[in-house]
Amino acid sequence: MTATTRRRRPRAVRLVGEFFDTAFEILETWKPDFAAELAAVTQDSRLTAARLDDVVRPYAAQTLGEPRIPVYGAGFIAAIGLLHDARGHLSWWQGPDREQLSLAWSIINKEHLDYSEFEWYRVPMITGAAHLSGPSVDYLCSDEYTITISTPVSIRGTFAGVAALDLLVDSVERHLVPMLRREAGRATLINAAERIVASTDPELAPGDKIGRTEATRYPCGSLTLLL
Amino acid sequence: MVENVPVSKTHAGGQPPSRMRGAPSRMRSAVLLPVDDEGRVEQVERRLIQAVTGGVLRVGERLPSESELSRVLRVSPVTVREALGLLRDRGLITTKRGRTGGSFLTEAADPIAFARARLRDLTRLALRDLGLHYAAIGSACVALAAHRAGREEIDTIQRRLAAAAEHEDQEWSRHLDEAVLELTALSQSARLTREQMRLQAEFSPLLALITGAERRKARESAFRRVLTAVRRGEGRAAADRFAAATDADLVSLIEIKQELPAE
Repeated sequence: MTATTRRRRPRAVRLVGEFFDTAFEILETWKPDFAAELAAVTQDSRLTAARLDDVVRPYAAQTLGEPRIPVYGAGFIAAIGLLHDARGHLSWWQGPDREQLSLAWSIINKEHLDYSEFEWYRVPMITGAAHLSGPSVDYLCSDEYTITISTPVSIRGTFAGVAALDLLVDSVERHLVPMLRREAGRATLINAAERIVASTDPELAPGDKIGRTEATRYPCGSLTLLL
Repeated sequence: MVENVPVSKTHAGGQPPSRMRGAPSRMRSAVLLPVDDEGRVEQVERRLIQAVTGGVLRVGERLPSESELSRVLRVSPVTVREALGLLRDRGLITTKRGRTGGSFLTEAADPIAFARARLRDLTRLALRDLGLHYAAIGSACVALAAHRAGREEIDTIQRRLAAAAEHEDQEWSRHLDEAVLELTALSQSARLTREQMRLQAEFSPLLALITGAERRKARESAFRRVLTAVRRGEGRAAADRFAAATDADLVSLIEIKQELPAE
């Protein structure tokens, strides 16, 4: 990008970009320490779910306590087969009370759900890169409409799972729409599949596909801001 | 044994509470609502029943301690104790005292046995009303999904269900439940999806009683028709087909109910 283009990039685009960049950065900041700890505890034996929870807990707490971004849920999802006493496991804390996720005691028993096909697990595993997925109804963890940012964690060169955080689309709206109205007047944020995340336009609903639009597209990572 | 266990007004025979009392607009799955004590006991009882009959715990297995349940379910130990008392009354758990004591699941807590007992207890009217509720929410969800879902998202559901073909009936029924849940989530509505989950918690254990190659083929076919309509973006057709599929399930359940030996 040339200096001229950068100058021409609207402020709204920069602010949206910063918001999501910060969310990615939060995970990348603790990932190396966490990965090192995981490598150490799995040196001679395979982990149990309880032991994994103990390792993840402080990192999840740190992420949930992050003042810059409205994080709703955070933690680590183990690679299938990583643990000794379970096929899969989510070490996950969420909600205003930072409650630990318990799949068995949810509205329905979710223990049998195979999370390996969810985008937030599959894409980082395959690409080796951090990924933003959603918005979608997260019927595994939060039962809310969320965006998930996840990044792959490796131990001794092997995929061990993903560190992740959830943002409520509700919080994204609160955080971005007033700013978008101020800076851009009319703006719509969509994902890579053309699904609306948030909009200043009363007639555009989050969850709908945007359809044809004359607006100018400004990429913000894998999202696009339409102005 | 707790004295003066309150007898809930809506708790007659095998009939679990039929109504959730006023919910805040964002109700997280594991949170029990801050209502009067009696309402809470009913909810804990219902959650415990789902857990014990939904395969989270096995027959003969010891339940978590009262304090553990109190922590996980986020209610007072007194509420847990009362709920356990109700489960004892239903014959789902027995409690032993002493060092190796605790509450243990009885044979009646087997999911199939429990579902059969439930089917026997429910009137055709109550069954149909549950089905109506389930169909109403489900239809709304698939209609939204027809408008909002991407083709790849539908194809993924289709593929995963096809991959479940090898499983035996009960297990396959669970995979169908998951496909329905996944399709529901494509509505992009968290509220409707949560509502569908609550209804699935009640309805799915009964649906698992629908077995046999012919009925299974019919159920799969009916669901495929829903997926096709959603994939084509035909909301109304998807809604109608979902309602029709639920109706066919209800007929099967009533037939099965008729054949159950009288108690």
